[in-house]
Amino acid sequence: MSDNPFKKQSKNHFELLYDMLLDAIPSSVLMVDEKLHVVSVNRNFLLKSQRSNANTVGRPLSEVFPTVILENTGIEERIRNVFRSGSPVNGQKMTYRAPGVPIRIYYYSILPIPANQIMLLMEDVTEQVRLSEEVRRVERHLASVVESASDIVLSTDIEGRILTWNSAAEKLSGLSTHEVHGRYFFEFCDTAQKQPVRLIFMQMKNSNESHTTEFHLLTPNNGGSILISWVFSPMKDDYGQTVGTVVVGRDLAERRKLELQLRQSQKLTALGVMAGGIAHEIRNPLAVCSSAAQFLLEDNITAEFHKECSRKIQTNIQKASAIIENLLRFARSSLDTEMVEVDLNSVLKETIDLVTNQAKVQKIQVLLPMQKEYILVSGVSGLLQQVFMNIFLNAINAMPEGGVLRIVVDTFEDRVIVRVSDTGIGIPAGELDKIFDPFHTSSPVGQGTGLGLSICYSIIQQHLGSIQAESRYGEGATIIVTLPLL
Amino acid sequence: MEKVLLSSSPCHYFEAMNTPILIVDDEPDMCWAISHIIQSQGFNVITAYNGEDACFKLTHGDFSIVFLDAKLPDMDGLEVARRASTLLHERPRIVLVSGYHYHDDPVVRHAIVEGIICGFLAKPFTNKELLKTLHTLSQPIE
Repeated sequence: MSDNPFKKQSKNHFELLYDMLLDAIPSSVLMVDEKLHVVSVNRNFLLKSQRSNANTVGRPLSEVFPTVILENTGIEERIRNVFRSGSPVNGQKMTYRAPGVPIRIYYYSILPIPANQIMLLMEDVTEQVRLSEEVRRVERHLASVVESASDIVLSTDIEGRILTWNSAAEKLSGLSTHEVHGRYFFEFCDTAQKQPVRLIFMQMKNSNESHTTEFHLLTPNNGGSILISWVFSPMKDDYGQTVGTVVVGRDLAERRKLELQLRQSQKLTALGVMAGGIAHEIRNPLAVCSSAAQFLLEDNITAEFHKECSRKIQTNIQKASAIIENLLRFARSSLDTEMVEVDLNSVLKETIDLVTNQAKVQKIQVLLPMQKEYILVSGVSGLLQQVFMNIFLNAINAMPEGGVLRIVVDTFEDRVIVRVSDTGIGIPAGELDKIFDPFHTSSPVGQGTGLGLSICYSIIQQHLGSIQAESRYGEGATIIVTLPLL
Repeated sequence: MEKVLLSSSPCHYFEAMNTPILIVDDEPDMCWAISHIIQSQGFNVITAYNGEDACFKLTHGDFSIVFLDAKLPDMDGLEVARRASTLLHERPRIVLVSGYHYHDDPVVRHAIVEGIICGFLAKPFTNKELLKTLHTLSQPIE
């Protein structure tokens, strides 16, 4: 229409405004008469169709639109209908490809206007269509991520009623989405956990942090349950309000099996470390027994000396046997994982007895102030022994030139804190946060598996406790184990 | 298996059937057994239960032969032997007695070559093995 409004002085004020308005809107607008000839057209249409005003205005629609569009949309017939009926056609879709331009998608409307014309409005929605397709694609992708995950992924409303339940959840629990939808998540938790789980959902309402825990998920269809490690995270809307909870759960059976194997292999490594001390310690009583037995073979010994020899033999056999028994107890794989009442003092004492030999060989003084009262925790005695065995052996290894291994046991409120300090070389600052990582080791190649402390970490975590290290390079190290008291 | 290991090159020693023999072991029963075997041959015996005590007795006493445990609570047996070789003008003949080392242990061989110890006896030993060692060491050399 008009190229420069200031040059079109001949047009009246309203015509000018009308032209400007048509040119300004981001849609294509065509006026068509009853013979389906184009009467006028706005700038947007000329731009999109790459046509000039001269070869468009006054031309029949069949010349202005490509044949393919005319055939596919039947637009000419629709326009004739509008002329006939006088009622508009709204929101029809049309795809259009001008030569050398990527495909465009339009929504068009045909409106009857006075003076026996219709107005054809075409809005380019290519970008919107592309965006909504992108959104759908991302949605599909996200859904398939959740569905393909081997971990349980579920979401609940703010009260903890299940909204979504992925395939892994269906597979592990044996419950279909249909069976769980709308039911409280705690209904599917181990009896003892129902209340704690309700509390977690309450916390989620006002929390920004995830909550990690472990408990059994019921599998009612086979009457059992499976141990799962859970992470509860609050789901927030744009205003930071909690609108639900996302719960992710990992089946621990496989991990437990692996951990068991790791613990066992690590135990064998510890046994190797202790072998030297044990050899020394067992050969002493053996040597005493051997000599005493030979004295007994001699003639002319007094009755008193005879008795003394027998006594020495007996006590030394007991000594050797006690060392072997301790060793067996440690080496035996602790298959029982039942948490029972355990006296931490006796665990520490028994473990110290096992490493005393090694400590002695390395001229290390062991300080464990004896406590009279019991310190009761809920745990697996064999596993706790393995934890302290690892810590003690690490401490002993850190003191090749001798030193002091000090064990301090304190109770504080509802916790017991065991501090194991050595006077060895200490841990460099950079290593301190890595020492609980699996396969991190400061030992020369072939001498350490780097599994000891990572196993301690997982065992202590299983006991709902914590383990930390404090050290200054050159000034020894302290490992602090905290466990909840019974 | 050869359990007694004696140096072929003589340690410097002075002949003294009359001087006592020092037994160093932190295990009292071990001292009891060794003492009995040695006393049966008419020797006098003195015992020490740790490294410091052994060094003190060595510098203040007059010993021809020492039976020395390899692992003492405060120091290595070989450390005691090393101190004895530097501190004492008249060095006693030292036999390392150990359940920790084995007879062809490089540490033991090295100590013998160095002349710090004269022999090695692995625990558990027979009374005969200990006596053989004792007699070999108490024979005057040259």
